[in-house]
Amino acid sequence: MFEVLVPGLETSIQDYPGRIGFWNQGFPPSGPMDSWSFRIANLLVGNEAGAAGLEAQFMGPTLKFQRDAVIAITGADMQPKLDAEPAPLWESFAVRAGQTLALASSKTGARSYIAIAGGIDTPLWLGSRSTFHKAGVGGMQGRALQKGQVVPVTSSEGTPGRKTKADCRPTFAADKIWTIEVVAGPNDDWIDEAGHERFLSTDWKLSSKSDRTGFRLEGPQWTFTEKAYKKAPENGAEPSNIIDQGYPLGAINLAGQTPIILVNDGPSMGGFINPYTVPSATFWKLGQSKPGDIYRFKSISIDDAQTLRKKLNAICSASSLG
Amino acid sequence: MIYENPRFLTGGDRYMLIEFGNEMNLELNFMAQGLAKAIEESQTKAVIETAPCFASMLIHYDPDAIGFNDLAKEMTSLIGSLGPSDDIELDSRLFYFPTCYLDPWTKAAVDDYRAKITEKKWDPEFIAELNGLKDVHQFVRVHSGTEYWVASLGFWPGLPFMMALDPRCVITAPKYNPPRTWTPQGTVGMGGASTAIYPVATPGGYQIFARIPVPIWDTEKRFPQFEKSICLFQPGDRVKFVPASPQEFEDVEARVKEGTYVYNVVEYQRFSVRNYKAWVKTLNKNERF
Repeated sequence: MFEVLVPGLETSIQDYPGRIGFWNQGFPPSGPMDSWSFRIANLLVGNEAGAAGLEAQFMGPTLKFQRDAVIAITGADMQPKLDAEPAPLWESFAVRAGQTLALASSKTGARSYIAIAGGIDTPLWLGSRSTFHKAGVGGMQGRALQKGQVVPVTSSEGTPGRKTKADCRPTFAADKIWTIEVVAGPNDDWIDEAGHERFLSTDWKLSSKSDRTGFRLEGPQWTFTEKAYKKAPENGAEPSNIIDQGYPLGAINLAGQTPIILVNDGPSMGGFINPYTVPSATFWKLGQSKPGDIYRFKSISIDDAQTLRKKLNAICSASSLG
Repeated sequence: MIYENPRFLTGGDRYMLIEFGNEMNLELNFMAQGLAKAIEESQTKAVIETAPCFASMLIHYDPDAIGFNDLAKEMTSLIGSLGPSDDIELDSRLFYFPTCYLDPWTKAAVDDYRAKITEKKWDPEFIAELNGLKDVHQFVRVHSGTEYWVASLGFWPGLPFMMALDPRCVITAPKYNPPRTWTPQGTVGMGGASTAIYPVATPGGYQIFARIPVPIWDTEKRFPQFEKSICLFQPGDRVKFVPASPQEFEDVEARVKEGTYVYNVVEYQRFSVRNYKAWVKTLNKNERF
């Protein structure tokens, strides 16, 4: 177990793949936004890839360990220090009882992951320990970590000194420009040709009004096909309105004229069209970008998206450790 | 219309959206719910979960287990095996909610939106005008004049998407552009021809005009209705909004707070699609209350 001395900015308990199977009641999966870094962190300490760990965003926590532990930190570089000495990223290391781990604000990337051998042992809620803090469920008391909380960990030996091969880590965009792969659909036929060209050729800016439910994008206006205008009134009158429908996770949801990428804590249904969807293998890029960063979208086929997924799943395995 | 052949649409690498039609009617919702049930019973392993809605159903599948085209083939044959909806008869609970229409709280949310985001007409006035109703009072009469059918849950845990069962009460409204950043808990709103209740304070895109003081989801399970699930509703339930004054709203709210509120639920009825359709045929859809 460890005690939270400084909670950081919304540090939360997450597991992977999260709370699956309740989309039809409106429960999102939650879970880590960059599951690549998250899974590697767990593998480094000898856990199952999906075991519950911490996601810190933008500014990390300060934690005091009450027992010896083996931990690993991956993802964004928040300049972690163990008792004021720099601690490594992308490798497992031992922490002794009484030592303090402090993360600062992120230099590159947006989200850091901390895995602890054995995994965090908070109660399961609908099959998952992931925090969905907007609805107050999962994690500890349904919220991000609070100062003074003591977080339980399943006791386990763990293996210190394991490293991640250099080519098995995600590369964060140093110039704040990200290429985001997208698959057209489900409602791509509501957007006209000019609209598609504009979407794929624009530098979209990630808005500060973004969180774990949705990433808002700033950019030009959209244009539509006839389908968006000639429709039954129950769709709603605005061109982006459609009869309420299930939303894919990662959908680029066009709310009026504002595109919002629906991420881990996002809505399961609603009445706006989704012209494109970010495939699962690209989610880590969303998780590691900051408000103000630029997205350039690249349309890929469903087959390519599934190939990327297989590649990423292969990387998120013991073979990536050295 | 109801499509002759459902459309299979892609959603990234692991979702499929099946569209049965492009309008809102019970028939389409029965198809979506029926297919969801058939998938569950057939235990199609590659399907991780489904989310049926008014006229479509989203499937979350495992692309390592099945390709998009093969899944579409399997779904086509399952859809073909569904029986006629006229034969469907199911237990349907009826919930009565004291409902404060034209309430001060949703009005404050609309005013805040007007001040901070963009100018718009007060939602009830806007809907009344758009649907050719005399004024906001007729809008309240029409909106509260029907039972609502819970077609699906989504957007937020436990949020019901509902349809007016009485065709004389079907009204429509566009959604907000851009969406609101907040909506009071218990707000009743509509978008398209769908009516919803916001379980907690969340952003939203529906036009809003009323509020209920009764919780529709409860992580603490303070009331017996939440014993089995923290979400009050399930698809196939019905809802009746009973107009109430702000005073009455506050009385009920106080009873909810102290844990003495009694949910007003009728649980003996069965919903027969055949009977319902026969009744609808006898109505003049152009009449308004």
